[in-house]
Amino acid sequence: MILFWALAVLLIVSAVFTVMQKSPVHSVVGLLINFVILATLYLTLNAEFIFVIQIVVYSGAILILFVFVIALLSSGVGPFPEGPNRLPRIVVPAAIVILAAFGFLIYGLARAPLGVLPAHISTSTSGEVGQANVFGSVADFGSALFSTHLLPFEITAFILMVAVIGVVMLAGDAAPDRTRHRPKRRPRKREPIVKANR
Amino acid sequence: MATTFLALWLLPFAGAIALWAFGPSLKRWAAFVGSATILISFALTLTLATDAFGKLGERIDLGTWMPGFSFGLWLDPLSLLWTLVITGVGGLIHVYSIGYMWNDRAIARFFAYMNFFVFAMLTLVLSDNFVGLLVGWGLVGLSSYFLIGFWFFKPAAVAAARKAFVINVVGDVGLMLGIFVLFAATHSIRYFDVFAKASTLPTETVLLACVAIFIACAAKSAQLPLQTWLPDAMEGPTPVSALIHAATMVTAGVYLIARCAPLWDVSPEARALVGTIGALTALTGAILGLAQWDIKRILAYSTMSQIGYMIMGVGVGAYQAGIFHFFTHAFFKAQLFLGAGIIIHALHDEQDVRKMGGLGKKMPFAFWAMAIGTLSIIGFPGLSGFFSKDAVIYGTLERGYPLLYAIAIVTAGITAYYMCRMLFVAFFGTYRGDVADAALGMPARPPARKSHDEESGHAPAWLMQAPVALLMIGSVFAGWLWLGGRWSGYFSDDFVAKPESAIVNFIPEFTSTLLVLAFVALGVAIAYRRYGSFDATSAASERLKRESLRMPAALTRALYFDDAIEFLFVRPARAIGRGFMRVVDPKLLDAAVLDVVWLVGWLGREARAMQTGLVRSYALVLVLGAAAFLAYFAVLGAPR
Amino acid sequence: MPVDISYYVILSAVLFFIGVAGVILRRNPLIVLMSIELIFNAANLALVAFAREWSNNAGHIFAFLVITVAAAEAAIGLAIVVVVFRRSKNVDVDEVAGLRG
Repeated sequence: MILFWALAVLLIVSAVFTVMQKSPVHSVVGLLINFVILATLYLTLNAEFIFVIQIVVYSGAILILFVFVIALLSSGVGPFPEGPNRLPRIVVPAAIVILAAFGFLIYGLARAPLGVLPAHISTSTSGEVGQANVFGSVADFGSALFSTHLLPFEITAFILMVAVIGVVMLAGDAAPDRTRHRPKRRPRKREPIVKANR
Repeated sequence: MATTFLALWLLPFAGAIALWAFGPSLKRWAAFVGSATILISFALTLTLATDAFGKLGERIDLGTWMPGFSFGLWLDPLSLLWTLVITGVGGLIHVYSIGYMWNDRAIARFFAYMNFFVFAMLTLVLSDNFVGLLVGWGLVGLSSYFLIGFWFFKPAAVAAARKAFVINVVGDVGLMLGIFVLFAATHSIRYFDVFAKASTLPTETVLLACVAIFIACAAKSAQLPLQTWLPDAMEGPTPVSALIHAATMVTAGVYLIARCAPLWDVSPEARALVGTIGALTALTGAILGLAQWDIKRILAYSTMSQIGYMIMGVGVGAYQAGIFHFFTHAFFKAQLFLGAGIIIHALHDEQDVRKMGGLGKKMPFAFWAMAIGTLSIIGFPGLSGFFSKDAVIYGTLERGYPLLYAIAIVTAGITAYYMCRMLFVAFFGTYRGDVADAALGMPARPPARKSHDEESGHAPAWLMQAPVALLMIGSVFAGWLWLGGRWSGYFSDDFVAKPESAIVNFIPEFTSTLLVLAFVALGVAIAYRRYGSFDATSAASERLKRESLRMPAALTRALYFDDAIEFLFVRPARAIGRGFMRVVDPKLLDAAVLDVVWLVGWLGREARAMQTGLVRSYALVLVLGAAAFLAYFAVLGAPR
Repeated sequence: MPVDISYYVILSAVLFFIGVAGVILRRNPLIVLMSIELIFNAANLALVAFAREWSNNAGHIFAFLVITVAAAEAAIGLAIVVVVFRRSKNVDVDEVAGLRG
């Protein structure tokens, strides 16, 4: 319990830190801490595979991606130049709306009983961490992924491919100018559809 | 028999339609076609007017629309007389018009309008119900508008046509109100039903109906105070003035009162009203006739005056006398107008008598036509006017209206004066066409615009002279019908109720006749001394100039009636129109529409504020939507 | 003595709205994208918590898929940021207001 509270506080602090920093690099660091804490929380929830994936993919790949882009965009070492604030007085309405949404969410959750999901119960059992066939273990996860949820898995592969192609198309080198070989055609003078009234 | 009846009614209408449709291709033949239809109608009417024609006449049923609304045609002695005059005198005038309008480019249109008028007038007199009467009434007013404004390139003609029509509409409203009152009281529009119940109705209702109906008569027959349109109506071609504004349309009021005699018999107040206004109009017409120098206007005012006599006659209850005066008046007034038309035509559209003179030698036929007409109208013994005028005048005395009697006699004298003055000035002495306008006391006037094409050949003279000659015969001899004989039955009063008021003989009839003749002779003598005698004619120019310049303004301004109407009605109406144009239209109506336009624009501008283009504001709206969503589920609970 | 799930859910909600605040209030596009990652993670936390609650693997699978898609989305988002702000002086989300009207 103490562990949970400690982790929770750290989580929130690091999230706020991330959002509030002026320099994106500081924000990346804050986010890194956030992800690690989150991974630990997953571990407390017996989600071993997710714990690993969180660290490897999220902290390891995505954040590095962010750092690379910061490097691409920065004109120096200082904070990024920003234009004038176009919505100067947005803080109060935003705060109100966010707090309202949060409040309604909590209220709704408090009222609604958290029923049991009457779906497939995994074949795993509770047991020690690290054991196969135990709920949350890698083996358990893997067997579910490749049997019941095979289709989404394949589709994610597709999604990733699309993402890669998209990134290359978007931010890659400009396509060569293929219009140079086409002979220039002057547009034909066309009759106006409606004759102007002289 | 029914077919003859329908034919004589519809033939002019067919003629009008045919001439409207084929007029341009028929050109001058249209005139002959147009005249033929009317003459055929006349012939058909004659065939119906046999001895076997009973008192109740013939009826044709044209169908029933709703209970109480049945339409039909009714030919009884009253409507038969009117029909004979309309088709007979009308036919003669049509023939005359062939010659008069010979060179006019729109001759076909003219005859189409004339035929349409005859049809409308026949509808008016032949209907056996009030609604048919109303239809005819309105159509006659419309025809008058068409015909007065026939030469529509003359602004004066257009204005006159408009004026006539607007004043007529006032009358139409009166007629409608009267019909409403009668229908509400009797639940029928047929004369037969209404008059049968007339004596049982409360006198206030009948008085109301009579007053309303009389407004219509006053408008149509140019009686006070709705008489201002008649002099202006002389802007139309002379045959129009002859037919519509002398012989027939203006007598529709007389017809209506005679037709509604059972109503008038119930209400003595209505009688007094009608009689008084008739007498006053007669007097006013005569007085204003003193100030006129345009030959057609002289005749117009004399028409107003004579119709005043007719109205007075039927108003006081002397129906036979009033109707007889209508009959004779149709002859001599048409004759006077057509004769004037001959003169005007010959003098190339000169209408002012001051510029005439000596025409007696130059145009003897016209002179005799006008002379006989004048003598008839003033009541020269033996001619038709003498009998009819005398009957009317004595009728007022008989029925106990001595004041009206006095007015009538004085009017007769004045009529004699100005009609003889016209005769003397135009036909005696020497021709003054070359004398300058100012030397005759005339105001300067712009050169007249030709209403006919240049003389590209003339009509045969007999086309214009024969009708006038026939009318002359009527003017002279029609009076003798009064004295009895086969035709006098038409003037018996069997089909109207007997008057209740006692017939009083203050003075015997012979004495009354002498009294009238005395006034008439006085008028003739004064006119002769001033214009007719040898000394007078040689100094005619100076006399004319003197009399023109000394004419009181009140008379030349027609007793300020036009000015009063302008002040009381035209100016407020224009002011209201201007007020609407300046205030209501822009501030209320336009403002309402423009406010909607502004509202739409405002909504658009406000909605535009949402499109900031900024991602952050869109994100905020997203969260707002999410909050609403969550609120919904929080409050209502997630679905089970 | 496992922690009651409601704590995890509330924690997830708090994280989520911190991310939302970051999206609305920050103008640097990179920080906005990082806030979006925070949001994804909050959702993942909720998913894993409920997976444990109901002993159902599907939560884990779903979280795994979320991570994958988040990665793809981050990549593309960053590519867009690079393209849009390659040559502009200000790196500001408010400058990209072409849909204003």
